[in-house]
Amino acid sequence: MNNTKTRAALLGSLVLALCASPLAAFSQSAAEKLDALEARITRLEDMNQIEILQRTYGYFVDKSQWTLLSELFTDDATLEIGGKGLFLGKRRVLEYMQTAFGKDGAKEGSLANHMQFQSIPDISTDGKTGWIRSRAYVMSIGGWGLPLYENQYRKENGVWKISRLSGPFTMYTNWDGWGKNALNNTWPDKFDPPPDLPPSTVYLTYPAYYIIPFHFPNPVTGKAFKPEMAQAGAYAAPPGTKEQAESLTFGRLADGTQPIAEPPRK
Amino acid sequence: MNTMKVMLRQWCVAIAGLAPLLAAPAMAQSTPEARLAAFRERVTRLEDQDSVENLQATFGFYFDKGLWNEAADLFSRNGSFEYGLSGVYEGQDHIRRAMLLYGPQGLASGYLNNHMMLQAVIVIGADGRTATGRWQGPMMLSEPGASGVWGVGIYENEYVKEGGVWKLSKFHFYPTALTDYDRGWARSLLPMKGPSAVFPPDKPSTKVYRTMPGNYIPPFSYKHPVTGQPLTNLPQAVDSVTGQ
Repeated sequence: MNNTKTRAALLGSLVLALCASPLAAFSQSAAEKLDALEARITRLEDMNQIEILQRTYGYFVDKSQWTLLSELFTDDATLEIGGKGLFLGKRRVLEYMQTAFGKDGAKEGSLANHMQFQSIPDISTDGKTGWIRSRAYVMSIGGWGLPLYENQYRKENGVWKISRLSGPFTMYTNWDGWGKNALNNTWPDKFDPPPDLPPSTVYLTYPAYYIIPFHFPNPVTGKAFKPEMAQAGAYAAPPGTKEQAESLTFGRLADGTQPIAEPPRK
Repeated sequence: MNTMKVMLRQWCVAIAGLAPLLAAPAMAQSTPEARLAAFRERVTRLEDQDSVENLQATFGFYFDKGLWNEAADLFSRNGSFEYGLSGVYEGQDHIRRAMLLYGPQGLASGYLNNHMMLQAVIVIGADGRTATGRWQGPMMLSEPGASGVWGVGIYENEYVKEGGVWKLSKFHFYPTALTDYDRGWARSLLPMKGPSAVFPPDKPSTKVYRTMPGNYIPPFSYKHPVTGQPLTNLPQAVDSVTGQ
């Protein structure tokens, strides 16, 4: 940059050409380098920003802040939690939360902390789409829970929002712990409101398991992970019992290959 | 480089009178120097955010093991330490002593003092010299002769960059729920300790609230990431005991 001598030598011969296309010869490549650098910085900032979105989602769930939570989503966002099915659009996200879990505000005697961690953020090369795989550890008055997230984010006018929340459950149990008790996955009519679309995939929770597809390949080998088709047993009795072992022979097929629904187009 | 450009332009104008053609594209974008300066600023912010994250995580590792001296060293000279309803301790020396209320230096047999630091939302101030951080803090606690305790709370801390080093300037941990390990939230709700009579705080608690069954929401230090609205007065039911 400060190589004035070289610059000066170039001036005489290039001045006319530069008049037609100012600084084209070296300035353009410098600009390209700067553009590439800016893209890398922006990507780091974007990854931070979608992590903040996901963590803020967690803080709002903890304290039943449903309106503020819904404002984290794009207008056409989809939301799917556990086996409840798909809710389409920001308005339905709000309706789901307020109908299923009550009006906005932290209530006395309630605990529903969804602690958010272990996030793996990624940003598309065009900088407009983001993804996070992460988990929550639920510490609630009812016991313990383990949701995963494989979410998508969109940058709209410079602001990141959640465009798809996919939160399959791994395990839910009461205070007795997962050695003695395991709850079923939820299902579409378990509680109000009913979903707009049925679940994108049918799966069972612990002691069965389901692996939601990874949005990223193995970071070392570069290979995409492909879940195998497998039988998953329905919950019938505590884990480790004969009844539970037998139930593993007749479960539903859960292979995780079903497409995640797109929002409706008008 | 700026000077070079200006010279070039002047010569071009002089030679061919092409000023209108030249000025527009060259001036539309900021200069490489200006861009680099902006990038340096943005990278510094990213590094600052990393430093603050590591600072708080380090505090957690020290605090877990009763390394009070090391933990107190992370504070700025006028830093403050407030944990639950124990009041505010000011300055490194007082903070160092206040931490002895949580067990002996290095802890001892039968103690468990794990304070996990999760879910960080760190915002570096516009001046690059101060920062705020909100954290989710599950706890696993034990003292000799007592049952184990599960807990959870929120950290809302402030940080300051002094001589190029980030330090804790204000530590405020709001425990929000504590329960007996064996019994769980449905059957056991533990209160917070009050201020110590042995080593009283420098100032009373800045916020009086109850742990569960109260459901206090510590005000957020940052704004809603989409709407930009402050998150300091969120809807919550009136506490039937404190009346707030």
